[in-house]
Amino acid sequence: MTDRPSRLRKFAYLGSIAVFLFTVFFSQRHLNHQREVLGLTRNIPLENAPPILAFTTKALGGFRGLIANALWIRATELQENGKYFEMVQLADWITKLEPKLTAVWVHLAWNMAYNISVKFNDPADRWLWVKRGTELLRDEALKYNPREPNIYRELAWFYQHKMGHYLDDAHQLYKVEWAKEMTALLGKGDFNFDRLISPQTPEEIERARKLREQYKLDPAFMKRVDERYGPLEWRLPESHAIYWATYGLEMTKDQKLRQEEFIGLRRVIFQSLQLAFMRGRLVYPDKSGNEFVYGPNLHVIDEADKAYLEMANLEADKRDNILNAHKNYLGMVVYHLYTHNRRQAAQQWFNRLKEMYPGANTIAGKPVENLEDYALSRIAEDVGETDPNRVKTIIMGTLENAFLQFALGDSEADIVAENHVNFARRLWQRYMTEISRYEKNIVRVGLPPFNQLYEETLKGVLSPEYGLDAILSAQLRTRLNLPADYGVSTNEPPAEATAPSATTPAGPATR
Amino acid sequence: MRRILAIASLTLRAAFRYRVVLVMALLLVAGVIVLPLIIKDDGTARGFTQIILTYTLALTTTLLGFATLWLSCGILAREIEEAQMQMVVVKPIARWQIWIGKWLGIVALNAMLILLAGAAIYTIMQVRARNLTAKEQTILQNEVLVARKVAMEDTPDYEQISRDLIRERLQHEAPPEGLSIPALQTIIREQLKSRDQLVQPNQRRIWTIQVGPPSEVRDKPMTIRVRFDPPVPDLGERFMTFWEFGDLATKTQFETNFVMPSEAFVEFPIPPNLINDKGELHIRFDNRNEKALLFPEDGMQVMYRIGGFGGNFARGLGIVFCWLALLAALGLAGATFLSFPVAAFCTIGVLILSMSTGTLKQIIEENGIVAVDPNTGRVEETKVVNTLAVPVARGLLNTFNLARGFSPIDNLSSGRAITWTDLSQAFFQICILLSGGLAAIGIAIFTRRELATATK
Repeated sequence: MTDRPSRLRKFAYLGSIAVFLFTVFFSQRHLNHQREVLGLTRNIPLENAPPILAFTTKALGGFRGLIANALWIRATELQENGKYFEMVQLADWITKLEPKLTAVWVHLAWNMAYNISVKFNDPADRWLWVKRGTELLRDEALKYNPREPNIYRELAWFYQHKMGHYLDDAHQLYKVEWAKEMTALLGKGDFNFDRLISPQTPEEIERARKLREQYKLDPAFMKRVDERYGPLEWRLPESHAIYWATYGLEMTKDQKLRQEEFIGLRRVIFQSLQLAFMRGRLVYPDKSGNEFVYGPNLHVIDEADKAYLEMANLEADKRDNILNAHKNYLGMVVYHLYTHNRRQAAQQWFNRLKEMYPGANTIAGKPVENLEDYALSRIAEDVGETDPNRVKTIIMGTLENAFLQFALGDSEADIVAENHVNFARRLWQRYMTEISRYEKNIVRVGLPPFNQLYEETLKGVLSPEYGLDAILSAQLRTRLNLPADYGVSTNEPPAEATAPSATTPAGPATR
Repeated sequence: MRRILAIASLTLRAAFRYRVVLVMALLLVAGVIVLPLIIKDDGTARGFTQIILTYTLALTTTLLGFATLWLSCGILAREIEEAQMQMVVVKPIARWQIWIGKWLGIVALNAMLILLAGAAIYTIMQVRARNLTAKEQTILQNEVLVARKVAMEDTPDYEQISRDLIRERLQHEAPPEGLSIPALQTIIREQLKSRDQLVQPNQRRIWTIQVGPPSEVRDKPMTIRVRFDPPVPDLGERFMTFWEFGDLATKTQFETNFVMPSEAFVEFPIPPNLINDKGELHIRFDNRNEKALLFPEDGMQVMYRIGGFGGNFARGLGIVFCWLALLAALGLAGATFLSFPVAAFCTIGVLILSMSTGTLKQIIEENGIVAVDPNTGRVEETKVVNTLAVPVARGLLNTFNLARGFSPIDNLSSGRAITWTDLSQAFFQICILLSGGLAAIGIAIFTRRELATATK
């Protein structure tokens, strides 16, 4: 009597199991997919790992955390005692034990690039550590975590801030070294992306291989970035910041729950575009390439503008902050264009500023309607500025104006031009005096000699790319006693090029 | 002696027969050769050399250390368990001679292996150094592959001074209200340290360092190794520093100034012949920054070359050898009264305990284990546990420090001299005192042990 209900119950159980398994079969796949899409999975299998790493992570199981902790403690102790020679190896082991923990990668890379590098007095030693930190993220962290926005953000930040900014005493060396490496790969000036996307010659094949394998740069994606935001100067670090931030967004865009983390990537893009606008043009003053000066990259104004607005639309909760930054950016565009003698464009951007942000044309509490007054007010504000990029841009813009006045060839314009040169020199002296109060500032944020800025600006104005009318160019050369071919080659200083000495009271010394 | 040597020879032969020597030799040489191929360095020749030296020596010490413990436990305990020892002890040989013979056999084995590993490491270092550029070679020869003597200012015994000051004060006046004597002592000790170590803005700090006899250091260029910390840690902070070297009473002076990172040791050279007739180097530092800077106790060091790498390396290996001799004694002492697995487990436990001296130091510094006052960082109440813990911890720490007070690997990789005095001291403390003590214990137990009952 008892057998039958028992058997029925067993069948019912089996039937339930079958139904549940059948349901799970369909729902599990969907759930797994959703977990991946929403970025909820933390224990996804390690991909691209070499056998030793795959073995270590499996074989040690939970104990690897303990070993990683012990290594971490050792690394900290060594660092406190000023012993850095083991740091790269310890970082390698720690990250191999915990390859999926983003914070570990980010911390160790930051430690090398920011904390350890500054402990060395020799800039060449520092550069090694900045490179090590960058390589740890770019070559290792992204290999195992290709969908982690924070790693892309950190990498882009290293390019934008550590190499691109000027807070580190050795920043100039970082830029020079990076420019050398990129020049070896991409050449000087405009370079052809298509030749690296589909290389033909052995030399192009080798360069494309190095670009992909050593620097992890995809030429096709570089081209997309350049078309979207450029033309960019790829020898400067901020272009690479834009690349990695854009690439990070591309690689992680389908993780809907991680939208908050994308804002960091987007910020890098528009901040780097702003930097590229202010000093995104590279001019080599000598053949060695050991030093260079920058000029503003006025080509990226439109793209930076679009980027700001795009970011503002995408980040609804940060919209006000981004638009505020955009307002400041437009103000900067107006006066940089003005100081670079692009008055028509400056007027257009000034109108846009007033239109988009009524009241933004207020300086010191008073509305300024006239472009000229607005630009001059901004310049007056900037005289007290301590950002070397901004001050250098103003000096070179003022000198550019001066040369255009000289080119007119009449006495009245001569007076205006001399005033411009005097103003630029005063600005340079004031800035250098200001920063010289602390000796270390001279190396860190010092400007190139005034003569050098003068010469570079003059060469820029006379270069064919600038497009100065042939007659005006000739008048300018005559006015400044320059040879007929002066400024034709923008990358080589002519032997007889002369510039006013710092002690000359006014105007070019060659007159 | 003949009997002891016979036992030692038998131990060695057994090690060869069981291929212990072959396996260890292969492991050591392979490790020394393979490590440089897989280790990631910081990109400089100096960093590469330092990490290779550190890792290969650490690998050698670790491998030989564990092998020594294992072998010494096994060689005695197993012979007892398998009744082979009974065959030996019935012969005309004292048990202490058996014990010493076995210890000497293991020590001789270690000597051979350490020589082999040392030769491999030395050869690799020299070969790598030859391939470097002239500039890198100079750095290596002056800073890493070198033996530099380190001189520092004597550190006062702040603990004792503060104790004396309090005692003196208490003779004349009552203790301050609300402050216990230990708390008061802590405050005075820290004030004394601050007086010596802290350099306030716009103040000068003067060091007088006894470097060495003038005849010994004449014409020798010197290196200053210095470190300071800002009041609030900030890893990226750098400060302008102004330095003067030389006795103001003499004509020979040297001045330099440069930007220096905080919280890191920085080395820079100074010219020779700046010391005075007494062999002292006077150093003056002006803090013209807006923040006070704190120089830790070892924050100002003067280094000068007293020898080459070869001799230093050999002496460093000598200290490692002393450690191994101690481990052999420890293993044999354990094996005299424990079975092989238990002896191995216990001796490795002792080894790990000896590495945890941080906890012992903390007990001594905090003056106990329980009821530590979070404000003063010290125990303020007398409790039985604390009364017992402190002398035990102090005793253990002092014992362990007899062996741990030497850093041959660290010294070799940072180019600091390991002198003959250091080596002699290591030999006395480790081989005579510690190993001797363990040998006495081991021999005493072994002599009294009834071996027949231990047979499986």
